[in-house]
Amino acid sequence: MAGKSGRTIDATVNTTWKNRIFSWEGMLLLLFFVINIFCRCISPNYTIINVLREMPKYLCEIFLLFPMAYILILGDIDISVGSTVCLSATMACITCNAGLPFPVVILVTLLTGMVCGMINGLILTKFTELPAMIVTLGTQIVFRGIAEIVLGSGGSVSLSNTDGFRAIAGKIGPFPYVFFIVIIAAVIFTLISTKTTFGRSLYAIGSNSKAAYYAGIKVQKIRFIVFTITGTMAGLAALFLTSALYGANTTTGSGFEMDAIAMAVFGGIATIGGKGKLLGGIISAFIIVCLRIGLGQINMNPQVILIILGTLLVCAVLIPNISGKLNIRKKKA
Amino acid sequence: MSEYILELKGITKIFPGVKALNQVQFQLKPGEVHALMGENGAGKSTFIKVITGVHKAEEGEMYLNGQKVDFKGPRDAQAAGIAAVYQHPTSYPDLSVTENIFMNHEIKKHGMLQWKTMHQEAANLLAQLDADFAPTAEMGTLSVAQQQMVEIAKALSTNAKIIILDEPTAALTANESQKLYKIVDKLKEDGVSIIFISHRFEDMYRLASRVTVFRDSQYIGTYEVDEISNAELIKHMVGREINDLFPKPEVKLGEEVLRIENLSRTGFFKNVSLNVRAGEIVGLTGLVGAGRTEVVESVCGITKPDSGCVYLEGKALHIKNPTQAMKQGIILLPEDRQKAGLILSWGLGRNVTLPIISELGNRGICNEAKEREVAKKFLEEVDTKAVTIFDPASSLSGGNQQKVVVAKALAQDYMKVIIMDEPTKGVDVGAKAEIYQIMGELAKQGYAIIMISSEMPEILGMCDRIYIMCNGKVTGELSREEATQETILEFAMEKSKAKEEVK
Amino acid sequence: MEKKSLWKKLTSSHEASLVIVLVILCFLVEMKSPGFLSMKNILEILKNNSVIMIMSLGMLCVLLIGGIDISITSSLALSGMTMGMLIKYDIVHSTLLAFIIASVIGTVCGFVVGLVVSKGKVTPIIATMGAMYIYRGFAYLVANSQWAGADALGDFNNFALESYLGFGIINNVLVIVIICYIVFFIMLKWTKFGRNIYAVGSNTEAAEISGINVDRVKLAVYTIMGFLCGLCGALATSVYASAQPNMQQNKEMDVIAACVIGGVSMSGGRGSVGGALLGALILAIISKALPLVGIDAIAQNTVKGLIILVVIMLNVITKRMFDKRNLERREM
Repeated sequence: MAGKSGRTIDATVNTTWKNRIFSWEGMLLLLFFVINIFCRCISPNYTIINVLREMPKYLCEIFLLFPMAYILILGDIDISVGSTVCLSATMACITCNAGLPFPVVILVTLLTGMVCGMINGLILTKFTELPAMIVTLGTQIVFRGIAEIVLGSGGSVSLSNTDGFRAIAGKIGPFPYVFFIVIIAAVIFTLISTKTTFGRSLYAIGSNSKAAYYAGIKVQKIRFIVFTITGTMAGLAALFLTSALYGANTTTGSGFEMDAIAMAVFGGIATIGGKGKLLGGIISAFIIVCLRIGLGQINMNPQVILIILGTLLVCAVLIPNISGKLNIRKKKA
Repeated sequence: MSEYILELKGITKIFPGVKALNQVQFQLKPGEVHALMGENGAGKSTFIKVITGVHKAEEGEMYLNGQKVDFKGPRDAQAAGIAAVYQHPTSYPDLSVTENIFMNHEIKKHGMLQWKTMHQEAANLLAQLDADFAPTAEMGTLSVAQQQMVEIAKALSTNAKIIILDEPTAALTANESQKLYKIVDKLKEDGVSIIFISHRFEDMYRLASRVTVFRDSQYIGTYEVDEISNAELIKHMVGREINDLFPKPEVKLGEEVLRIENLSRTGFFKNVSLNVRAGEIVGLTGLVGAGRTEVVESVCGITKPDSGCVYLEGKALHIKNPTQAMKQGIILLPEDRQKAGLILSWGLGRNVTLPIISELGNRGICNEAKEREVAKKFLEEVDTKAVTIFDPASSLSGGNQQKVVVAKALAQDYMKVIIMDEPTKGVDVGAKAEIYQIMGELAKQGYAIIMISSEMPEILGMCDRIYIMCNGKVTGELSREEATQETILEFAMEKSKAKEEVK
Repeated sequence: MEKKSLWKKLTSSHEASLVIVLVILCFLVEMKSPGFLSMKNILEILKNNSVIMIMSLGMLCVLLIGGIDISITSSLALSGMTMGMLIKYDIVHSTLLAFIIASVIGTVCGFVVGLVVSKGKVTPIIATMGAMYIYRGFAYLVANSQWAGADALGDFNNFALESYLGFGIINNVLVIVIICYIVFFIMLKWTKFGRNIYAVGSNTEAAEISGINVDRVKLAVYTIMGFLCGLCGALATSVYASAQPNMQQNKEMDVIAACVIGGVSMSGGRGSVGGALLGALILAIISKALPLVGIDAIAQNTVKGLIILVVIMLNVITKRMFDKRNLERREM
């Protein structure tokens, strides 16, 4: 019956460079350069060496961006990651202080994160009626609560033996190890989201989970995996955070979930699911990191930085919406 | 006074990128039932929304009782005595029936809502319509037909002089449709003018005195129902003649492929047994809510049956999810294409290859070149009206979306059984014929096909064998030769009849 | 029509089961530590939780329209802080004026969020997350590394100590709580605006077609939420006798939790004032009761979180059982 009406359907790809440059990611890349030039102008200390030196403590949050981007693409949300970081960091410090060998410390930290993620995943896949927002709100309180119990009445712990953590805070030339690990993770997570069937499934579920299920995609299994990955990455972030802070307290990692969500959303990944690219999220993460370092160097009040970040976040969503509306109005006129 | 209660002239409505209505006109006489027909996407629904003030037309004038009116929003239209009952019941599932009826024209005293009076009024309206539920019932617990009744009560409660019914019978069974006809008759007697949109010709012949046809956003003409033949009307709607609506090919039936034995699921269906052979098109019909969709969903692993067996080519299957069903060669093309069949924001190509990305790819890595090739092949095979495989699925009409769903099934070349749930629901006449054509071709290729449908003509026209369900049980099995509209209806209403006798 | 037995009515209504839980809870705590249910203690608990109780009302409305607002404690801090500084520097003396100023600031905060959500079509979680950063940042800027303590606030503290609004019997703060609850109960049950809130949450598209101005309802709801935040900013300053930029930080989760425990649906359209009240009360009593039954204060958050999780999971399980029972009854 093929071509009964002789109609053919075009299947050639044509993405022009123009399309690529004028995409959201292209704009973000431009903004990245603008921000860097801006920071260089306002702060004489804003040199590559200095930026790299200050970077590690900000880079930890980028670890959370990757899995958070996956979760947002799925159409879910996880606001418990900050607490997972707190609990993992606490466990890292406790086990390290207990004198366990460093590889065991690493394992415990990652496992703690992973278990937290699995708990989220388990509840969400067994009780599919529940929105992720409210479940992770509950686990957010629980995970940090457990950290509070472990930390005891003092509410904080500092490392007594810093050898292991000093080792992972090392550098190759001016580049800290964590920088490379972030880059590697970025490449892996980006490739998974664009090139693999797993990545395609993520977008399918986020766009229309029912249709994805009918098409034979194991929706709940994938959600479980993604939440588990999220927990594990939170453990990884906790590891490097500890190597930067040499301790943990009850507020460690608070606000990380918001930062990770903000980076992803600013990068064009919509909270309704199925939309956006990881690349955008990564560029926007570096924009935010550079802006923080630059503004920090001129001793700008951290609260002002908070206000700027909040405004950026809202505007990133608001401006496309408004300009879209104006465009329609213009066309009508 | 003008001859017409409602008159629209030269209406043009532009959405970004499309002209949804182009210089359309319409006249409604007082007290008449006026059918509005046309294919999907012809602009009927948009036109209704212009009348009710939801959309504002860029050009054109509207006269009510000969006086020019200009509605700023739905409230103006409501105040002018125009009420609409939309295609999808636009109800509030969490609220009570009373509230649904009085939404946005509540009875108030000193700014406070008068619940007692409203419940009383609602009960009166429902009594007028012979409704069998209380005004305090929660909307979400009612059946579609009952919800429709609430919508009509809502229209009545505004003392509307003009009521617009947008495909009111689409979700109703034959029985319920009869009830609706009676309601419409009664409204007519009360002097209400009615605009009636429907795809069903029987609705039009039964109710309307005049019919207006739209095609491709344009006004085609207005005709007296008594003076126009079915064929002519279809020609006006489609723009060409359709000679053979049901191209059922003669296929030599093969071995039995799928057999279901005593399948039960508590509260949905009980002891359902049926079978289908290669090259056979088996119809599964009955009233909406008889449990047809639930049966096939259980066969495909979407829900779990409580007891019973499914055999494929003689082997017993234990299917837990749709993935396993597809691996075995059973696929369900769901009734709700937009919600369960397609990812509307995606391109057609990706929709087609979604179930087979793993097979096309290598160790979890997608092979996009191959995907494009496969997608192109199968989309062309079912003759989809699209420019590229990257067109978003949302840009297609209902019929073409259905074709994409079929292409999706074909792309999995190990399929043996294709189950189509209401394949032509919301599909216009022209595309319907094409889908029947495809079904015939599939049967010829040796697929076993189960078609669930509420539409009598297609069941009679396309099926080799027909199972009829009623209240969760198979009440009858008819061969193509035995089946007539009457015999099917008899089986479909068996149980409800029995119940009435008991009463 | 079937007649439901009283018992069935009780178990099928979420509010009724919450009342039972609350009674059992109170009873258990009273057994463990007599005197818990004394009038004085109860009033004290209510007073200390007034902020959560009032904000639950606003959150109820926000959740009813299918939204969420996590910026509430930031706007609370901004309004409370601004008011505190104005009092500290003797610019404002009158308690009433202070309340008005705080409420106005809160209202403006809520209005801005409402504009962004309704006109800007930004998803509520993102809009309010941004607002959370921004308002908290402003609160710190207003504070300028200072805070307003009990002595700086002076007369204003007395508001929470006296009971002139309650004819000398009920504390002023509680009077405000009671007034808020009455107003919201009437608004949601008996006014058109209240029902429109339910309509928007239950089916936005349908609401638009029936001529409800959805954007305006959303804007109004977020503005009301903001007003309550401002009011609570003043109340919190008075109750705790201090205004700090980190006031009530992270308490937005408690407010949402109270609503969720009270049976308010996160997807909109379902929930009641009674539910929100009971949710807030249960949460308040739990956190008060934990130390009394021997659970360390340090474990309070864990227990609170677990309770939220258990409640929402139980809701799902009972719903599933209910559905199954219905199906069995439908057996042909």
